[in-house]
Amino acid sequence: MDPRPSHEIDLMRRIGAGEGEALAEIFDLHSPLVLGLLFRILGRRSEAEEILQEVFLQVWTQAGRYDPDRASPRGWILMLARSRALDRIRRRDSSRRREEEVAGDPLLAAVHPVGTARLEAVERKSRVHSALDGLTPEQRRCIELAFFEGLTHSQIAERLQAPLGTVKSRILLGMNKLRQALSS
Amino acid sequence: MAAHEHTARFDELLPAYALGALDGDELRELEAHIATGCAECQRQIALWQGDLEELATAVEPIAPSAATRERVLRAAEAGATVVPFERPRRTGAPRWLALAATLLLAVALWGIYQQARLSGEAGRLRAERDGLARQVAGLERRLDQTQADNRRLAKTLSLITAPGAHAIQLAGLGPAQGAVGHAFINPKTGEAVIYAFDLPAPAAGTTYELWWIAAGRPPVPAGTFGVDEHGAARVEVDRVADAAEPKTWAVTIEPAGGRPQPSGPIILKG
Repeated sequence: MDPRPSHEIDLMRRIGAGEGEALAEIFDLHSPLVLGLLFRILGRRSEAEEILQEVFLQVWTQAGRYDPDRASPRGWILMLARSRALDRIRRRDSSRRREEEVAGDPLLAAVHPVGTARLEAVERKSRVHSALDGLTPEQRRCIELAFFEGLTHSQIAERLQAPLGTVKSRILLGMNKLRQALSS
Repeated sequence: MAAHEHTARFDELLPAYALGALDGDELRELEAHIATGCAECQRQIALWQGDLEELATAVEPIAPSAATRERVLRAAEAGATVVPFERPRRTGAPRWLALAATLLLAVALWGIYQQARLSGEAGRLRAERDGLARQVAGLERRLDQTQADNRRLAKTLSLITAPGAHAIQLAGLGPAQGAVGHAFINPKTGEAVIYAFDLPAPAAGTTYELWWIAAGRPPVPAGTFGVDEHGAARVEVDRVADAAEPKTWAVTIEPAGGRPQPSGPIILKG
């Protein structure tokens, strides 16, 4: 588990009180991961950085709404980011596939975590990737389409040309497998 | 099944709900249930969101640019909204509508500008047309005058150069001392033209009247006339009886409109 949640919860409280230094600290802690998620969803670096600004300004203005009983600060910010990015995706003319954009963008390699953050990132990714590796390719595909592209059951079924019931089943089984792998 | 009762069916819907994949009747059904304040659903949603947070951390981190960090902190300090990035956003409906509104405004303004410009152009062309019309009218008047002058000169020239034509010189008398005149007569046709120079302008209510006088006969009126600003006058006579016979030419001062017989003093004679 993250050893810093209590410190980060305190940062959130200070942000809610209007302390700019606390915002700067939480930005430095989590903006690389948030930007990575935004880029994974949006596929465009400049657009991802734009949404990144919006996300942290939302953190600045809505830190008072953060509930530590429901999510860690990092989880709250990541879900804010995902929600904003998916909103942007839905408004966008999405004729292009984002995975094509991601695959073709050299900026994906621009990863600069250092020191303990780098070790944590490596460990975390390894754990999640192991969990994902435990899924069937179909289960993983369905979950990724929902999580990174904001597609619903029906939209995934249409995208994959698969029966709706099959898609529901893949997601339910995949999510349960994921939980087991992450909690082990 | 009461909506507030938590069942295994909701347990199956909650993973997809947390993922955002639930839709249709299942979504409405679960939302109605959650709205009852089901604590078990809240607990499970928090757990699933924790798992999804883990999924989110599987992405490659990317260090944001220093400019982005600066913009966020500066905007937060200023209490302002997000500083736009360099690339315009073109996908959102509000942006699209704003662009459309801007285009419509631009088209409207262009239309107004064009209308004003064309209106101004039309006004300028109308003024130019009116000016040209005035110039044409002036030129036509000058042309008419020139043509009339030419006709007079041609007539005078034909008179003077006609075979047997003769000229008589007239001299000023009394108040017109110093005035001179010339009478040219075509004996064949009886046409005559008389020029007078340096005559004073006739007094108000009076006019000059030309007479020709054959020997032993009463004077014959040949027309009334005034003078120009230089004291000059030209009088044409269509036909003089017995033009080949010698005549005396005289100009008298008469009441306006002239008289059948001279009543005023003679001022020019020859």
